Amino acid sequence: MSLWLLFKDELNGFYRSKVMLALWVGLPAMALLLYFLVDDIEGMPITVFTGLLISSIGGLLTSVLIVVNILNEKGKKVYDLFLIRPIRRENLLLAKFGAVFLCVMVASLIAITLAAILDSANEGYNVQDILTSMKDSLLITLSIMAINCSAGVLIGVFAPNMLVGILLVLFGANQLSSLVLLPMITGWGEMWMAGLASLVISVALLFGAALVFRRKEI
Amino acid sequence: MVGNSGEMVSVRGIYKRYKDLPVLLNLSFDIPKGSIFGYIGPNGSGKTTTIKIMTGLIRDFQGEVSIEGRSIRNWNAELSSTIGYLPQQTSLQEWRTVDQALNTFGRLSGLQGSEVEKRIKEVTEELGITEYRQRKVNKLSGGTLQKVGMAQAMLHRPKLMVLDEPVAGLDPESRVLFKNLFRQLSRDGTTIFFSSHILSDIEDIADTIGILGHGRMRYIGSMEELRERVGRSTEVRLETVEPMPNDSLLMSIQGVSKVERVADNRFHIILQEHREMDAVVDRTIKAVLAAGLHIRGIHPNRQSLESLYLSYTDGEGKA
Repeated sequence: MSLWLLFKDELNGFYRSKVMLALWVGLPAMALLLYFLVDDIEGMPITVFTGLLISSIGGLLTSVLIVVNILNEKGKKVYDLFLIRPIRRENLLLAKFGAVFLCVMVASLIAITLAAILDSANEGYNVQDILTSMKDSLLITLSIMAINCSAGVLIGVFAPNMLVGILLVLFGANQLSSLVLLPMITGWGEMWMAGLASLVISVALLFGAALVFRRKEI
Repeated sequence: MVGNSGEMVSVRGIYKRYKDLPVLLNLSFDIPKGSIFGYIGPNGSGKTTTIKIMTGLIRDFQGEVSIEGRSIRNWNAELSSTIGYLPQQTSLQEWRTVDQALNTFGRLSGLQGSEVEKRIKEVTEELGITEYRQRKVNKLSGGTLQKVGMAQAMLHRPKLMVLDEPVAGLDPESRVLFKNLFRQLSRDGTTIFFSSHILSDIEDIADTIGILGHGRMRYIGSMEELRERVGRSTEVRLETVEPMPNDSLLMSIQGVSKVERVADNRFHIILQEHREMDAVVDRTIKAVLAAGLHIRGIHPNRQSLESLYLSYTDGEGKA
């Protein structure tokens, strides 16, 4: 009950935040820019290239967004008024993760769908190819975003200050999230493995964040 | 289990340190049900730490705290719905409006359906913040935000309200509003525990007072008893019109133990017993007039509540 309430609450706050507005508009805009500005991406469909681009930029932005948000709220003692109420501590984090992830998921979906439409306007791609590349792009994008979001939550919980938090995002979360690209780059695995790896890593990161948050005096 | 049926809160032998810095040292006290307990101490004396322990926000401590006989070590929904908490600074997520914030806190505290809206309407009216209900919290003044904080604390009708410096930073009108509200809540059976470092805030409304100094409870008792202690003066200040050549006249007065000459015509007369105050003043007047001198002023030198407080805290908070 409290998780659902907190999730709706966080969603209400995030979907119209400035960073989210930038993602809502920025991610689809990237697909359009690629279509109009880049002549040749070595035969790669715009859908795939857009997926890679937004997962990299969007992933970084969302993890920074979460870290800054949690550190700010921790610093201002915003959580005190929640924690004295009958809720599970970790629900605060899960709600935040869920809200941000849902927002970036929708933004990515819009961007990749737009890229797929642009691909369909190009000659040389059939519908089957477009759908396959759209599915792969979404999977990669969401896998990377999930790791970025969950790493952002963990870093936000234990980072002592903003500087350390941002550095950890840049040199930790971002590198960690690129792990899911390995099957695609090396060609040793199937695409679904990226999704599975992301799921395992994200759950582990969120579990770690929940453990720290339970024990820590916020 | 700690505490009995007459106590809302029982605190026993609390020790808390932050790394090498001890903050609370064997702190023990009880808060009777329905009382207004004023918790006073200098800045940094451990008031907020005590409050955070009582509200379950700090879990790493030694000792035992129970609320209505239930240990806060077993924090659960029932226990947390007993408490309303107002932090020293009310911090809310900035994107929220007042209504959104109160709605969330009301629902998280267990209020359901139309009850939430009904209570929000009641408390915002009581606190005079109805007009701010649709305003974002980051657009509110400090005083209004404090009232929103108070609103969320009383929304679910808690039996115990724990308030950390609730009137600090409020304008005089709002201070009166808060103090009247505390009295009203107390009359309705709510136990109020509030901290302050300003003695006059406590003096106005608390029926029980606890003075914290150096991590320990230095005084605990009723406000009346404290006032009585203040009244127990053992010093009389005398000023005559003409200079008095020596102290022997004053020393000869029955009940006087010592005379301190401040100037030729000004004296501090120390009494043997504070109960003899009226008699000694009477005898002094008669003796001085009989010696052909005139009195410019004579009055008991009562210890102020402030100086009594400083004596309990060893001047800890004195700048």
